[in-house]
Amino acid sequence: MVTLKIDGREVQAEEGKTILEVARENNIYIPSLCYHEEVTPYGACRLCLVEVTGNGRERLVVSCLYEVADGLKVKTNSERIAANRQMIMELLLARCPNNQAIQELARQLGVEKTSFKLDDNQCMLCALCVRVCQEVVGVSAISLVNRGVDRALATPFYEPSDVCIGCGSCAYVCPVDAIRFEDIGDTRYIYWPNNKMEFKLKKCKTCGNYWAPEKELEYIRKQANLPADAFDNCPDCRE
Amino acid sequence: MEKYAVYVPKLVTKKENFAPGHRACIGCGEALAVRLACKALGQNVIVANATGCMEIVSSQLPFTSWRVPWIHTLFENTAAVASGVESALKMLMKKGRIAQQDIAVVAMAGDGGTSDIGLQALSGAMERGHNFLYLCFDNEAYMNTGIQRSSATPFGASTTTSPAGKMSMGQFTWKKNMPAIAAAHNIPYVATACPSYPFDLLAKVEKGAKTPGPAYVHILSVCPTGWRCATDLSIKIGRLAVETGIFPLYEIENGRYKLSLDPPKLRPVTDYMKLQGRFRHLSEDLIAKIQKRVSAEYAEIKEKAVADKE
Repeated sequence: MVTLKIDGREVQAEEGKTILEVARENNIYIPSLCYHEEVTPYGACRLCLVEVTGNGRERLVVSCLYEVADGLKVKTNSERIAANRQMIMELLLARCPNNQAIQELARQLGVEKTSFKLDDNQCMLCALCVRVCQEVVGVSAISLVNRGVDRALATPFYEPSDVCIGCGSCAYVCPVDAIRFEDIGDTRYIYWPNNKMEFKLKKCKTCGNYWAPEKELEYIRKQANLPADAFDNCPDCRE
Repeated sequence: MEKYAVYVPKLVTKKENFAPGHRACIGCGEALAVRLACKALGQNVIVANATGCMEIVSSQLPFTSWRVPWIHTLFENTAAVASGVESALKMLMKKGRIAQQDIAVVAMAGDGGTSDIGLQALSGAMERGHNFLYLCFDNEAYMNTGIQRSSATPFGASTTTSPAGKMSMGQFTWKKNMPAIAAAHNIPYVATACPSYPFDLLAKVEKGAKTPGPAYVHILSVCPTGWRCATDLSIKIGRLAVETGIFPLYEIENGRYKLSLDPPKLRPVTDYMKLQGRFRHLSEDLIAKIQKRVSAEYAEIKEKAVADKE
């Protein structure tokens, strides 16, 4: 265990945890978009900036990546931090001016308009979906492609992915709702910012409702080593 | 409604704001609903909790399950306490005593505390337009005092004060339509949810807490003790309540109806009733009567949802 100070409050923390994790445990609010407890931190959105004092100098670090240390002094709110967060927010707002979640966070951080040229994107490239697809689902169907201004979220070659199982985790986890999916009749549609895919849904043998993508059930069945008829019935009709 | 399988549940926060170790019965759907609601609300919240099952099981002196600020209130004044808290916060922020921030004020009560005893306080708070969320955990009777009937008890259910026997067929009145009463106050958000559909519940509670102005979420909580059903069936019975159309899941946003789950074909009500001892005595013509009413009510909501979609 290490002892550090966050906003003047002395807190105990396990070694190896990051400042953001420790702050969240102690109910100290730090804004962030790309952090999720289930996946490795990535430091994409930069909104979780904090000021740390170590070795006698004060500097700005990204709290989702910075590990706690004994005697560390952390400030989560100062003029310098606020100014930096506002600048980042302005850039995000310029990239995604029509995104509700980003507009809402900008309002909270005191940013009303951006001085940069407006683009029209929904995705802000935080790669949370990519990390979830890889680490939680374990299939890596989507990734960030190209470089620089062309950087985008897509399936390989913008074509329907072979490995995608249509589970919808990317849509669920997206902090700015840039990915959507819907089930219409016997088909599930997943819409990423740059392409879309269709999945056939499985029909329950007993009640006839469509309840999950066939590919997903097949994937789970193989992972869990279940018999071929394990998912013939939906959870409500299963004995 | 989105159908998620096993991966998305891993992404829901693991932080429990409603701690385990409370005294709820085995298979309690209400404890599950409260736990999910607390996950959705996070830490920046003040809860006013009416007397009822959830207050009894979660706060046995000297223990508490609540990891958020929590006030125990009487049956009748939950909404009044919540509106007081909301007004106080507003004034403290206006005067600069505390920093400007979004603190959700949430009132929680059972069906008795909502549709019987606390109705006038709730009506008043909704009419005054306080910015708060009211969660009604509906287990269809006064369960913690010993299964006495409430106005939310469904037609035909046997309870200790509406017992089934030679002279009686159990509850002889129909369930009070609380979501419609809340919607009649012209509040911005009304929804129904069930812990058997956890993601839907999480989303609705979160949406309700974020809505400026009053929001009301009615949550069906299966009670194996009072419904006389097997304890391992609470999730299944919750799903059947929705799939038979007895408890349709819908949202009313600014007066516009939207069905959250619209099964292609409704199951017969007997699928739901045969699993519960409280309906065991019902004769076939009474079940037919219930079926008729359930179908009609479902059709009414569906009609509204279809009309509002256009």
